[in-house]
Amino acid sequence: MIGYIDKIKQISKQILEDCKVDMVIGFRRGTVPMMNEPCVAKTEDDVDQFVWDGHCGINLANYLMGRKEKIGIVAKGCDTRNIVTHIIENKIDRDQLYIIGVPCKGMIDRRQVNNRFEGVREVIDQGDTVKIIGADFEEKLDKTDLLQSNCATCTHPNPVIHDELVGDPVEVPTDIDQWADVRKIEAMSTEDKWGYFDDLLKECIRCYACRNACPLCYCPTCFVDESTPQWVGKSQDPIDVRTFHFLRAFHCAGRCTDCGACERACPVGINMRVFTQKLEKDCYDLYGWEAGLTTDVRPPLDTYRADDPEEFIK
Amino acid sequence: MKIININKADWNTGLKKTADGYRLIGPVMDQGFYLFKPLESGKVPDMGFTNTRLSAKGIIYPQSQTLFNYSLDPNREDHHLLTEPEDAHQLTVVIGIRPCDAAAFVQVKRNFDAPDYQDPYWLSAYENTVLVGLACDQPGSTCFCTTAGGGPYHEDALDVLLVDEDDQYLARVVSEKGAAFLAKAGWTETADNDLVMKTIATRKEAAENRISSTIKTNNLADAETMAIYDAPFWDDVAFACINCGTCTYLCPTCWCFDIQDETHGMSGQRMRSWDSCMFPLFTLHGSGHNPRGQKVQRVRQRFMHKLKYYVDKYEAGIQCVGCGRCVDQCPVNIDIRKVCELMNNAGKQSVTCAA
Amino acid sequence: MAHMGVESERIHFSWVSSAESTKFVRVVNEVTEAVRALGPNRRFVKSHGLDRQSYDEKAA
Repeated sequence: MIGYIDKIKQISKQILEDCKVDMVIGFRRGTVPMMNEPCVAKTEDDVDQFVWDGHCGINLANYLMGRKEKIGIVAKGCDTRNIVTHIIENKIDRDQLYIIGVPCKGMIDRRQVNNRFEGVREVIDQGDTVKIIGADFEEKLDKTDLLQSNCATCTHPNPVIHDELVGDPVEVPTDIDQWADVRKIEAMSTEDKWGYFDDLLKECIRCYACRNACPLCYCPTCFVDESTPQWVGKSQDPIDVRTFHFLRAFHCAGRCTDCGACERACPVGINMRVFTQKLEKDCYDLYGWEAGLTTDVRPPLDTYRADDPEEFIK
Repeated sequence: MKIININKADWNTGLKKTADGYRLIGPVMDQGFYLFKPLESGKVPDMGFTNTRLSAKGIIYPQSQTLFNYSLDPNREDHHLLTEPEDAHQLTVVIGIRPCDAAAFVQVKRNFDAPDYQDPYWLSAYENTVLVGLACDQPGSTCFCTTAGGGPYHEDALDVLLVDEDDQYLARVVSEKGAAFLAKAGWTETADNDLVMKTIATRKEAAENRISSTIKTNNLADAETMAIYDAPFWDDVAFACINCGTCTYLCPTCWCFDIQDETHGMSGQRMRSWDSCMFPLFTLHGSGHNPRGQKVQRVRQRFMHKLKYYVDKYEAGIQCVGCGRCVDQCPVNIDIRKVCELMNNAGKQSVTCAA
Repeated sequence: MAHMGVESERIHFSWVSSAESTKFVRVVNEVTEAVRALGPNRRFVKSHGLDRQSYDEKAA
């Protein structure tokens, strides 16, 4: 993963020089630990600020919508799945893109690191290990223990479409139950489910970072911002907060790739992925569908097939 | 200035004594971070925090607030009358507020207590709140209060400043409100002597030296507004922004709100909730036109307001206290310190490149 | 809805043709009985603004 950056820079410079693209979207070094900032390079000099490590968790597919330029984009497995979804939904044209695919070993969960260590000054991704440096301590940990929870259960770490790969595909784990959390909630009583989500959402400040970090949330006007009619109240009423999260998740059904952008963006650490994961699981159970794997098949929610399950209709 | 010595052994019992006159609010750790919460039934504030995830602004200016209730139901006695909510702001004390969050109230007050208009809700809450601050001995790595007009021991905006000294708090009494609260808690042992003063001064200097992050604002006031507004860096600054409200909602000095009526049948209420200049809806006109329809315009507005318009309008520095929350929590790492540097440099005659 | 904690007995889907009047009656009766057996819905109801007491009285 560490060696990728040279290749990323080399490809980026090449496609800019060859005028294959007008710009390349990548990451530059952030100003706080574990944060890299999405940025755009239009010249070869700009490319020199690119970085790649386990702090590139933001989903860059989010920056493609509606753009007219020819774009190079550095993309992890999940990013490419969202690019596929964008192509299917006509948000971007495949021909506009030069996808620099990055086989991904997972992103570091900055919230977990900050919760475990006080005063983290620097976190260095060393490949299999992570060095955490504070004002008066230094620790080395296995990266697998610090991954974002969606990365720990990721089954598609390799880019599903790309024009070039920056390294050999990584091994795909096979013995993973990616929906363990969902099963836990499914097993709860109705009462407990209600309470679980009440508790989950109690600190939500409705900043909409989850929505805005999500590549799927590109509606010109979100339903929470509609005023005629007004679907959802604007206050901190728990029912309004819940309605927002719940309906947003529904809008992602059959489209969500569990990239974790929403959870990563949340300033108060809410794991709203438990909503979208349920729908992801249902789509898999009902339609055998995983979002963003191919541009050749229409997603289940915009197609009808005679054998669609319909047991719920009485 | 008077200094009261509070033995930590008397801390909880003292707080308990104040509970029948004051609503107590203090820092509480929950879900991995600190927030200011009401300290109900003898709960004690957890003073071991660097800073709370959300600022203290919501104590005086709640995220959602009912301004009044109304009903058109002729069967109700109070129909066609506007009634204030019953829980109008009670006398409240905030334990452990950081000097930066308190300084933010002074900045925000310029807006809510203007010569032409005084916001009754904000002002009554502010007047009924006692700020018992906690000096900041271990500032965070993104704190830059000392170059944002404040400091870890800054006491001007507080009623009491607590200095944590081993098994005691040295409480500097800043206002009458603060003195009354301390008296209610039964903390009366004065400690005005040179040794205590020296202790506080030493600690203060050490804390200030621990602030490793700084900003420069010296050119902002004299700069041509349009020179900054039209500066070439805004596209680059705004590229990563996802236009969420994290920075504005976490910011102790952001004050914008939206007013809505919520109606249920014949009755309803008028509410105000925080709003954010990052949202397109914030400036959408009834005509459908949006003067800040593009992301870059909204990002620029936020920084221009904090670092230029406010500076020019009130001539009292920037609208930022350097608490570092927006820097820490921005999902895409947009850093006000960096933007401030760009803006400050753009204000110079000869523009030099930002590091 | 059920995943979020709304009782699944409140949620019904049916397909009734305009020619299936008896099925329509049956479905409406079934839904009504199922919901009546559960009692008033207390979840997903905004508590403020709505006068809770009169809501409960109405629901009783």
